[in-house]
Amino acid sequence: MPSVIRALVLVVAGAVVGLAANAARPHGLRIAAFAPPTECTGGEHGAPTPAVMSATEASSLCGQANVVIADTRPENAFVEGHVAGAVHLPCDAGGKTADEALAHFSHAQTIVVYGNSTDDARPVAESLQRRHPDVKVAVLDGGFVGWSQAGLACASGPCADCKTSKGPLSKASNP
Amino acid sequence: MKALVLVARLVVGALFVVAGALKIGDPTAFATEIANYRFFAELAPWLAVILPATEIVVGAALLVGPKKWQNAGALAAIGLLVMFTVAIVHVVRAGINVDCGCFGGNSGPVTAWTAVRDLALLAAAALVFRGTKEYAK
Repeated sequence: MPSVIRALVLVVAGAVVGLAANAARPHGLRIAAFAPPTECTGGEHGAPTPAVMSATEASSLCGQANVVIADTRPENAFVEGHVAGAVHLPCDAGGKTADEALAHFSHAQTIVVYGNSTDDARPVAESLQRRHPDVKVAVLDGGFVGWSQAGLACASGPCADCKTSKGPLSKASNP
Repeated sequence: MKALVLVARLVVGALFVVAGALKIGDPTAFATEIANYRFFAELAPWLAVILPATEIVVGAALLVGPKKWQNAGALAAIGLLVMFTVAIVHVVRAGINVDCGCFGGNSGPVTAWTAVRDLALLAAAALVFRGTKEYAK
């Protein structure tokens, strides 16, 4: 028997063992019912868990030189309206993009990340925290919806520069 | 040369067994990690169930199999590593921020180094395949 056939036998044997083990498991993976995640996820690797920051507390940080606010929502939502001064750092931005963002804002000691809701921004916040454990990363409680409803000092508004921006690091203009 | 092939065979075999064993207990988490690669994501649940056991079988063949099966194990490992490397390069090029999932939940993010590591393993598997080619038939 040639080696290619034996290699295929190994792969098929592994597949059969894997399927059998999953079927025999009481809480095995239901293959047909599996739904891919709609948000990108990041694991925890011992880095501090990002805190949840209230909109009031976050608004008190607005304008401080060492604070960066990052919007993790899709580009169209960012263009429609966002926290003034926020940078666009969507959920599917790569690690390289995240590193570039922090390099661009190397002065940042605090990064407040928000999505539409509190949980939307957690994957990006966890990823940032994992990569840069020395920076305080926080998730905005209630996300952009909560922020808008609160009507706080840092108003949301359209991004005049977005059409000419080159991607997720586009800096928002103040309305 | 024989010593080098022996070391490469033991390293690749042990890594495959360990990687498979660390993932086989939680196929749901592994399926999520595969889906996050956004590379044939619809196959994620199938791969999550099949890959860990296949890694263990291939690793075991490399570690304790007869010479003929060591050669076949090296060939299977090459195929799997090529697949892993293509997926990792896709993620790095697309700039998608995902956990590797290579060794279970705490494998760290996918970076260019992950691809380099896979290429090194691919070279080791190729060395084993070449070093045992007399048993290929």
